[in-house]
Amino acid sequence: MKSKLTYTLLLVAICASSCKKNLELDQKGIYTTDNYFRNETDAVNVISGIYNLLEQEDYISHAETTFDVASDDYWRSGDHSEDEAIENLTYDASNAQVNFSWTYKYETVNRATNAIINIPKIPVISEAVKNRSMGEAYFFRAFGYWRLMLIYGDVPIITDDDYAKSNFNKAKSPIEEVRKQIEADLLKAIDNLPQSYTAADRGRVSKGTALGLLTKLYMYWEKLPQAITTGEQLISNSNYALATTYQQNFTRENASSTEVLFSVQGLQNIVQNDYTIYYIPRAWGGYGFSQPLQGLANEFEANDPRKAATLLSVGDQINIGDDANIDTFTADLSSTGFAFRKYAVFYPFGSAEGNGVDHNYAVPLMRSADIYLLVAEAKIRTQGAGAGDALINQVRRRASAALPPVANAGMAQLIHERRVELAGEGERHQDLMRWDKVNLVNIASIYNLAISKAPVDQGKTVTFIRPKHYYYPIPQVEIDKSGGVLVQNPNY
Amino acid sequence: MHYARPFLKFILLMKVAFLFVLVTCMQVSAHVYSQQKFSLDLKQTEVSSILTQIQKESDYRFFYNYASIKKLGRVNLQVKDASVDEILAAIIDNKLPYKIADDHVVVFYDSDNISAQLSIRGKVVDKSGVTLIGVSVKLQGSNVGATTNANGEFIIKAPDNGVLEISYIGYEKQIVQIAGRTTFTVTMVETNANLNEVVVVGYGTTKKIDVTGSIASVKGADIQNLPVSSVAQALDGRASGVNIVRNDGSPGSPPSIRIRGTGTINDSNPLVVIDGVPSSNPDALGDVNPNDIASVEILKDASSSAIYGTRAANGVVLVTTKRGTYSQKLSTSINAYTGISNTPKYIDLLTAPDLYTLKRERYTNDGIAIDPESPWVDPYYATQRTDWQKAILGTGKVNNIDVNIQGGNEASTYYFSTSYYDEKGIIDKAYFKRFSTRINSEHKLKPWIKVGENIQLTYGESNSFDNNNSQTGLLFSALRFNPSIPTVNEDGTYGTSKAFSQLGDINNPYSTIQQTDAFSRKYRAIANVFAEIPIYKDLKFRANYGFDGAIGRGYNFNIQDLNQVRQNPNSTLTQSETELYSHLLDLVFTYDKTIKKSHITFTGGYSKQNFRGSSFSAARLGYDDTSKDQLVLDKGNLLLAASGGYNDPTALESVFGRGFYDYDGRYLATVTFRADGSSRFAPDNRWGYFPAFSLGWRISNESFMKDVKWIDNLKLTGGWGELGNQNVTPFQYVNVISVGNGYGTNGYTFGGAGVNGAAVVKTANPGITWERAAMTNISLEAGFLANKLNTTVTYFDKNTNKMLVPAVQVGTAGRIPSPDQNIANMNNHGVEVEINYSGGDELKYTFGANASFINNKVTKLYGENSFIGSVVYGRSSQEISRTYEGQSIASFYGWKTAGLYQVQAEIDSDPYLSSDIRKSSIKPGDVRFVDINGDGLIDGKDRTYLGNPNPKATVGFQTTLAYKNFDLSANFTGVFGVSLYNADRMQGLDPTSNFNMYAEALDRWTGPGTSNTIPKMSLDQANLNYRTSDLFVESGNYVSLKNLTIGYTFPASLVKKTTLSNLRLYVSGQNVFMITNYSGYTPELGYTNGNRQRGVDVAQYPSVRSFTFGLTVKL
Repeated sequence: MKSKLTYTLLLVAICASSCKKNLELDQKGIYTTDNYFRNETDAVNVISGIYNLLEQEDYISHAETTFDVASDDYWRSGDHSEDEAIENLTYDASNAQVNFSWTYKYETVNRATNAIINIPKIPVISEAVKNRSMGEAYFFRAFGYWRLMLIYGDVPIITDDDYAKSNFNKAKSPIEEVRKQIEADLLKAIDNLPQSYTAADRGRVSKGTALGLLTKLYMYWEKLPQAITTGEQLISNSNYALATTYQQNFTRENASSTEVLFSVQGLQNIVQNDYTIYYIPRAWGGYGFSQPLQGLANEFEANDPRKAATLLSVGDQINIGDDANIDTFTADLSSTGFAFRKYAVFYPFGSAEGNGVDHNYAVPLMRSADIYLLVAEAKIRTQGAGAGDALINQVRRRASAALPPVANAGMAQLIHERRVELAGEGERHQDLMRWDKVNLVNIASIYNLAISKAPVDQGKTVTFIRPKHYYYPIPQVEIDKSGGVLVQNPNY
Repeated sequence: MHYARPFLKFILLMKVAFLFVLVTCMQVSAHVYSQQKFSLDLKQTEVSSILTQIQKESDYRFFYNYASIKKLGRVNLQVKDASVDEILAAIIDNKLPYKIADDHVVVFYDSDNISAQLSIRGKVVDKSGVTLIGVSVKLQGSNVGATTNANGEFIIKAPDNGVLEISYIGYEKQIVQIAGRTTFTVTMVETNANLNEVVVVGYGTTKKIDVTGSIASVKGADIQNLPVSSVAQALDGRASGVNIVRNDGSPGSPPSIRIRGTGTINDSNPLVVIDGVPSSNPDALGDVNPNDIASVEILKDASSSAIYGTRAANGVVLVTTKRGTYSQKLSTSINAYTGISNTPKYIDLLTAPDLYTLKRERYTNDGIAIDPESPWVDPYYATQRTDWQKAILGTGKVNNIDVNIQGGNEASTYYFSTSYYDEKGIIDKAYFKRFSTRINSEHKLKPWIKVGENIQLTYGESNSFDNNNSQTGLLFSALRFNPSIPTVNEDGTYGTSKAFSQLGDINNPYSTIQQTDAFSRKYRAIANVFAEIPIYKDLKFRANYGFDGAIGRGYNFNIQDLNQVRQNPNSTLTQSETELYSHLLDLVFTYDKTIKKSHITFTGGYSKQNFRGSSFSAARLGYDDTSKDQLVLDKGNLLLAASGGYNDPTALESVFGRGFYDYDGRYLATVTFRADGSSRFAPDNRWGYFPAFSLGWRISNESFMKDVKWIDNLKLTGGWGELGNQNVTPFQYVNVISVGNGYGTNGYTFGGAGVNGAAVVKTANPGITWERAAMTNISLEAGFLANKLNTTVTYFDKNTNKMLVPAVQVGTAGRIPSPDQNIANMNNHGVEVEINYSGGDELKYTFGANASFINNKVTKLYGENSFIGSVVYGRSSQEISRTYEGQSIASFYGWKTAGLYQVQAEIDSDPYLSSDIRKSSIKPGDVRFVDINGDGLIDGKDRTYLGNPNPKATVGFQTTLAYKNFDLSANFTGVFGVSLYNADRMQGLDPTSNFNMYAEALDRWTGPGTSNTIPKMSLDQANLNYRTSDLFVESGNYVSLKNLTIGYTFPASLVKKTTLSNLRLYVSGQNVFMITNYSGYTPELGYTNGNRQRGVDVAQYPSVRSFTFGLTVKL
């Protein structure tokens, strides 16, 4: 009996001692911050990971476009009641889009900061890739704050040190500080980024992208002379020349366009071209969001081909690629009578790549033409009417030789030109507010014109309250979570 | 002597022949047995082996002392068509006295010390004097035994100072001192089911009367042949403190089990232990054939579950499957049932003409022209064509057949079963099938070692539809799809809502079902082998090795569909495989000793278990040929995805001990301790130590209670203990960088080609450690009326501390989910009451009622007014559930309402709107929301608590009636004090949506005084009439007849003729009826986002009502 007990105890002892490492387990196939950032590939990947956010449905293609819904260019359509609140300026701090927007932009900022901190520590990396990657990271951090600044005004700044220490619950910085932060990052991006890329790297941000964004920043900052300086650096650089035709920017040909400074790259079967899906009519396989308004259609001059490139009006014909026939745009396809042609990009019938919506299309987010017109505006506003004629006429001539050149153009012509050139590209509402702030337009009255509203909204009064509506509210949920650190924007 | 044998044989033959004639005259059935002849040709064979062989082939049973038989040595035997008598005469050769009783029981008398032994004769009867047949009589401390014959008599050799143990199933064991007597009558007393019951506890069993914790026990017999896929569903209503939460009525869909409330915001399912193997839960229960189950024990309080310390915070469910017993005759049982099911309810929806009218009315009310881009200008859409609910909800089927064989001899026991369960849902192509096989056996290899194993092999196949998504759910689609659209157009294509955006962006649910080509399969083995060694006297050692492994396979072919709104641009085939497995080793010592009036049991041991898993999947797209026989990955034009990886491994390691002490059946104590290490936590925080104790006082055994005749049993118990929970994501102590090339995995596109991208997707919490639940339990148990009436009242208080919740992640941290931190506390306390009564004579009846009253509250979160959100509903991402500090988990959160504005003046003068910018947009017929914070406008800050989806009371009531050959059993369940949020109705009444609406919309506001609850038809969303509000909070109280079974057992005399031993037929109804005021399909809504959302109606698959017919045959 004793021996039985001894054997049993021995067995237990063996089992227990062999199990010393029972709890020391290793994950397989997982990277952590401790085993990453080893080489050039890791650096490039981390940068691609920032670009990835541009594709996210609730970021650029949906949330960001809704922030132009309030404008007089288009009606929200669709069935998102939160978009209706944005359209009619009745939104509050709990609006879903306001929530999405906040976190996606900080995700952009943080991914960029992570790259900025860790890429310099990588031991083996070529100087060119390192510079480019750092430039891209600085650009994206600036881009994140840029959109935050436009939408919310004062926002918290998360420094490298904050990021490293996970110190995220921070108070808002004044808009002036935010702008300085953006400026500083963009200057570094301009230093680090290359002028242009080979075909394999198409889609990366360049020196021109950073110059363009810096020009826009100065315009919103009312630093007009600086805007002219940076804008002219871009305009004078042939790498960023206007495309031959306006339409080219909104077809697959834009892949080789010098004008597209910044874009969202799509890929068939991997990344959907959300813009086309969102903007084309239901019957064509889209969602029929963002239907252009009568006022926008009226804005185009009679012989401006940009109208047909921008809008689908009743009777217009288009090849939507699902059969050999050309489809006709009919009244029952839209509640306003229009759809955006600009983002309706289809494979031609019989294409080997696919049929229907072309998901390989890259959607432009910033074009040189925008910068041309901003510099023209800065010149008019600093040097008087006519100072921007040359640039405005460059844009008009590119659109059509048949368009009469402007002479001694003032702000009215500039405003007209920006509207028709950039319709549906997310600029209009911000432009109008920017001009309203310096008394160049009366946004409140513009938004209440009948042609600024969809038929269904004709009975409604849209009340633009200054300064409340210049910025959207900080998401209520963020105010709640911050425990008093974040303060809501005035009037919300 | 050799010559004497034929002579003896002759006489015996004569006797047998006489008996034969006599018996033939009296009873035909005996014919068979008396005729038994054996042909044997054995050389040098142990006599015991020969007896065993005869026993196997016949009805004869031999009782002998092994040592005596062994002395006979090896013999040669060559007989042809010999009777047992002949054979015995030959092999025993007068060396050992024996007797053949007329029931074929052969008793050999011990040759040793024959003079010192007495031949004891006895008779066993029950209280009313009826003789009991087949009662086991055993001489204590020996292998000598006997059974009573047809006259209830036994004969056994025993020393004059011996002690006999007399036991019989259903009766209390009797201990008889022989004290020199040679004849006596033993009167057996029926056991009280509740008191002498043995219950399974962790790593052992104990008598129910000795239990000092809270253990609910459900007998297998009570849950047999219910038409449910998982035993979890069968438990509904059968035990207090156990709430079975049905999440989805789809075939094979596992319910959640909540023991004493929701204990944590994380995984709060109990630990499921099947024959000693802890399994991932609760789906493990779905792999067990319910008819294999002998009993289910539910350990509810800290003291009883502490032996499983690590994973016991949410209770433990112990499943014990059936086993053969030693010296049990082979018995075979066959169960089969078949039945049909359907939905007990349809929602009243608008028909196309009414919908057309109401949609048009919106424009009239808003004073605008009807949108030309809408179907409401085309009379085609005013014709009713399809009732979408009827188009997809049909008749389901359920079929089950299982066979089990069990038995045993002196050395081995066996149980074998195989089963097939097949359930077809009420939605076509929703199904669940299960084949399972079980082998349980045990062998006494040597006197000092016993080994055994339990093996369960299961194959499951199923398919189900998504009914939780509030934008694409299948039933949701059926409730919203326009009724003027046909299921199938004349040209053979499926009806579609593509023509207008105002038909809604949903796909034809009928086409979704028809085009579905998907299944998932599961192959699972749960097995354990064990060895038990009695080391020394009262000390026993048991080693148990367990394995649980499952392979899952998925197949999903999505055919190209450009016809529906939510297009599928390319045909895609996805195939996937997952593998999960776990190894377990338990080494347990048990010491059991009775010294005078003290009884001590100590159980202690070591346990380790690890879990591994991996998965891969591949998808190709573009199928030129979509015929069924060509749907293989190879035929896809383009590789869409190929992915695979390993699950994070986890492991547990534990040392545990439990001491039980009983003094004189009056004072009881249990002390338990377990130390657990879990790899889920950071190295410095891995080990958790969980103590528990409980005390019991059997007041009824005190001398001062002797004269209190009306109480038969009175026991007070109380205990306290701490338990752990580690069911959270492992490796949260490291941060993670994810690298991938897809949309969801950080990839991007440069130069028209996909590239990898990397990003931090998880941040670390190096301090993460155990959740701990401290639990107090006080219970009073009483038995009356000779223990026919038993009651238990229990109070418990459970505090979950250091609950792991995601750290508050402010938005400036981006979109990375925050790691869990040990921040929160939660309390569940309540009372459980159980009353059972059994009685009757000719009409036998039992009644059992139980009720649980539970209060759940999150006592600590991130601070005052802090909360944890949940999943959002519908297109506008509506919040419905929030878990707030100070409230019950997953409470509803939204706006309060005060009727509808009836006239403009009410709006003009309403202080709720005094500074609301939307005031001019609000019209009569809109909802009047309450300005909770009094700031003169309605916004998100006016939201407040709207209701609690956690039931205050759950009750169960079971009854069984047996009269002659008829039996009836019924199981009622009820839930009270529960609020539900009918989100589906909220959207089904919303005229601004593009969908069909509930028929209730006909009662809309059309002018002052017409309605105070259903707003006017309008397209205007300024007032957001259909925001989350109390308008859609309903009471979820219900009483349901979960099961009713009526059976008939054929009389034994009739059945015997067919050579069967038992035949029972029955009909059974599941979810027979439900009494409720709830307006949706079913108030049994369950969870829709872990524990963060409960009781929200998103058009889940309804509970089905089924009727089955079945039979049980015993061969």
